[in-house]
Amino acid sequence: MFVHLQGPWNPVWGRLSLQAIPYQNPILVGTFLFAMIAALAIVGAVFYFRAGPYLWREWFTTVDHKKIGVMYCLLGLVMLFRGFIDALMIRSQQAMAVGPHSPGYLGALHGYLTPFHIGQVYTAHGLIMVVFAATPLLVGIMNIVVPLQIGARDMAYPYLNALGFWLTAAAAALVMLSLFVGNFAHGGWYGFLPYFELPYSPGVGVDYWMWAFQLSAIGTTMGSINLIATIVKMRAPGMTWMRMPIFTWASLSTNLIALTSFPVLMVSLALLGLDRYFGTHFYTAGQGGNLMLYNDLFWVWGHPEVYFLILPAFGMMSEIIPTFSEKTLFGYATMVVASFAIGGVSWGVWLHHFFTMAAEPSVNSFYSVTTMLVGIPTGVKVFNWIFTMYRGRVRFELPMLWALLALFLLLVGGMTGMMNAFAASDYMWHNGVFVVAHFHMMVLLIASSIFGAVEYWFPKVFGFKLEQRWGKWFFWFMVLGTAWVFVPMFILGFAGMTRRLDYVPVTQWAPYLRVMLVGMAFYVVALGFFVAHLYVSLRDRMKNRVGADPWGTTRNLEWMTHSPVPAYNFAFIPRVHARDEWAWRKEHGMANLGNESFEDIHMPRNTGVPVLLGALSFALCFALVWRIWWLAAACLGLVVLVIILRSFARKTDEVIPATTVAGVERAAQDALASPARG
Amino acid sequence: MSKRGIKGALKALCAPLLLMLSGCSKSGLFLLEPKGLISQVTYHYFNLDVGIMLLIIIPTALLAIWAMWRYRKGGGGDYRPEWSHSYLIEAIVWGIPLITVGVLSYLSIKAIYQVNPYNPGAISSKGTAAGKPLDVDVIATDWRWLFIYPKQKIASVDRLVIPAGVPVRFRLTSTSVVNDFIIPQLVGMIDVMPGMRTKQALVADKTGQYVGYSADYSGAGLSWMNFETKAVTKAQFAAWVKKTQAAPQTMTYADFNRFAKPYLAVHHHRMVFGRVQSGLLDYVVREVMSGKVWRTPMAMTENMVRYMKKQQANVKAGEY
Repeated sequence: MFVHLQGPWNPVWGRLSLQAIPYQNPILVGTFLFAMIAALAIVGAVFYFRAGPYLWREWFTTVDHKKIGVMYCLLGLVMLFRGFIDALMIRSQQAMAVGPHSPGYLGALHGYLTPFHIGQVYTAHGLIMVVFAATPLLVGIMNIVVPLQIGARDMAYPYLNALGFWLTAAAAALVMLSLFVGNFAHGGWYGFLPYFELPYSPGVGVDYWMWAFQLSAIGTTMGSINLIATIVKMRAPGMTWMRMPIFTWASLSTNLIALTSFPVLMVSLALLGLDRYFGTHFYTAGQGGNLMLYNDLFWVWGHPEVYFLILPAFGMMSEIIPTFSEKTLFGYATMVVASFAIGGVSWGVWLHHFFTMAAEPSVNSFYSVTTMLVGIPTGVKVFNWIFTMYRGRVRFELPMLWALLALFLLLVGGMTGMMNAFAASDYMWHNGVFVVAHFHMMVLLIASSIFGAVEYWFPKVFGFKLEQRWGKWFFWFMVLGTAWVFVPMFILGFAGMTRRLDYVPVTQWAPYLRVMLVGMAFYVVALGFFVAHLYVSLRDRMKNRVGADPWGTTRNLEWMTHSPVPAYNFAFIPRVHARDEWAWRKEHGMANLGNESFEDIHMPRNTGVPVLLGALSFALCFALVWRIWWLAAACLGLVVLVIILRSFARKTDEVIPATTVAGVERAAQDALASPARG
Repeated sequence: MSKRGIKGALKALCAPLLLMLSGCSKSGLFLLEPKGLISQVTYHYFNLDVGIMLLIIIPTALLAIWAMWRYRKGGGGDYRPEWSHSYLIEAIVWGIPLITVGVLSYLSIKAIYQVNPYNPGAISSKGTAAGKPLDVDVIATDWRWLFIYPKQKIASVDRLVIPAGVPVRFRLTSTSVVNDFIIPQLVGMIDVMPGMRTKQALVADKTGQYVGYSADYSGAGLSWMNFETKAVTKAQFAAWVKKTQAAPQTMTYADFNRFAKPYLAVHHHRMVFGRVQSGLLDYVVREVMSGKVWRTPMAMTENMVRYMKKQQANVKAGEY
């Protein structure tokens, strides 16, 4: 219409045709079969157990922050698996395709993936790991834990919470669909301009990337609004700012980052959309466009986003380390200040993502120094965790092992981060694998904290502990894999190897690339142990049932209520007397909830509207990707209509009667009094 | 016994890594073997930076290990659950990172001016002693490098020939998307951007061959977008220039428009041009700014296999 499109278009199907289905690619056909079998197995199981109505009633339409959190985590876990498979493909391709004499298979000149295909793989790997694995897992855990920690019954906006989740899920589904219909962007997860303009990326891949990214950004922004409002307005009486648990502080700072930065991402992607759909010239090289504008806008979001991911991880470490050191967190006020300092500085560092753009030395000096400033509060945090263990009684249980791994990864990642901030050195490896190894240290730190947090809070959500034996095997193989993949990658960084190669021209690098494959093998074994860990835990769930405080030395409000947490969280909203309220109560002999007469509890009512809006957004984005204008218009119209209709709904809440509450509380007490064994 | 056991285990674990280090140090680890003025200055600051960081990181790691071991449950360490604050420790934990960052910032700024691509302090401080600089214009296409020697009016594709010991000044631009110019043993990265002109400078210390490539993702041909850098003596360089000027192929603006079409340099079809129309780089910048686009055909994004076959046929037919 406004732009020059390569390939056919018609008003009914848009750009969609049978050729969009990659049936000639054996890898994708295999993936498709695997996905179909898995989907059939799940659908079959749902029908066999007649679980459909239950799933719809209790999960799909839920507005319960805990269940939404669990769904976020499940989504994150599935996407983590997909991202890991992508990583396996990247590593195996690079290990195979070294030097001009390396063989090629499946149509590739070297290795088994064509440049176009591996481009999609690492683009998907990056986007999925950051946006669809780490983010949902962190948001999910914040969703579950924050209201419990501040003694609230739900989020401030339960409906918005569900909507945020379903938009994120729709975006993830869009990424997955691109495997089988059309293709995905192939230039790297953060987008290159003008490479992502139509003349250089004529296919639908970039459009898939753009809309999935956009949709998830909307979802995350909603989540951040919700968490901020919840933390500010819904704290239990007596919980002053300086009595707030440290993870809640971390959530507050991180969501302030999200709320202020994600809109920038939306704008930067929307401008790209205008370029690709209407032929404007925001980011083109010629005709007045400015490609650096995209880099600026994207990284103004992108760098705060990095801290959006890391601050909750730090918060998790700050919860786990005191619990398993049987001691108060050292330097609480300092930790709060450090979190906000990191959040604040995050806004002044983005230019280091393009140190090599030939800016004035004064400009690079400024951003080099601001980037190094991040090291100060981060260093303080490391010392505070160490001094939390100092004069404590450290127990090496699984959550603690993960938190300590995170701490050591932070030392490596922090040091290499400071090396990247040193702009003159950065010129040598800016687009190299040294940077890749550095940020993988950081995201593995996040992943470690997440695994620790899941081990830690799992009994609270599900009422039973995860077993420890397979979990420890999983842990140690993750450590091995990390060492064997990333030590060679750092060395290759010093070799000057660059990113995103589908073919490695320097044959001397081959041994390192092969050693990395050994590391990947350790990761695969770790994945097996992870599955065993989950399986054994689920099998023995009755044996491993726990009460309110499964670790014995926990400190915050969430451990005061039953495990699993009832729908209304707390039968009585607790009054807070101290920082580390639960530890304070245990010390003062106030650990019992009390047997006062129960009252009616006012709760939000389940609704299917978020699922509907998620589905419509998915269809809208699909139509936009393929330029099926009638479908896009219809979906957009329906979205607007549904939002208007929903705003007239009056019955959005319900009351849990006191008798029901009493029943639930009694049942929880009884379950504890006579734990069913076997 | 147990100590020796641990040592043995450590050796066994580290052996493959050490082997890798010793096996390839000769030519694989480019950044650790700088061969040019700029890369050596960078390497010097890199060592300083790493040294200072290790002074902080290693004791911190040891402190962490000591704390978790000394105060493990049942380890008999002093247990003070309420102890959570100390002004002295707070001052130290803020002070150490503060001082470190201060020192590193000073070094970083100094280094940035030393290797500033537009006017590197490391070269300009030598003044005329560094010799009369050689100018090279670099144009990155999809996906080849064209090196133009404007004074000598010659050009070379995917091979950069420079005299050793002489400062080389680059002006760089790109026809289509952003690339990143690097010769790891000589000089770091500089973005090569369409519609814009960036600069870089280097001096090669000794004669030799160095690998150069594009570091920023620019499309399907990126992995093959590497070039050979040959640093030769001044006499050899003069001879090469003379020989190249005798080459029959020429590069006018019209020739360039055909040359700049997307091409995967899989076969390293290196070539030279004996005459180049003057002002080519400025022409390309102007053209791109006013909207000239060398479109990537769909075939080069979706089915690379078919495209490669077609390209080979074209090469045989004498097209490029």
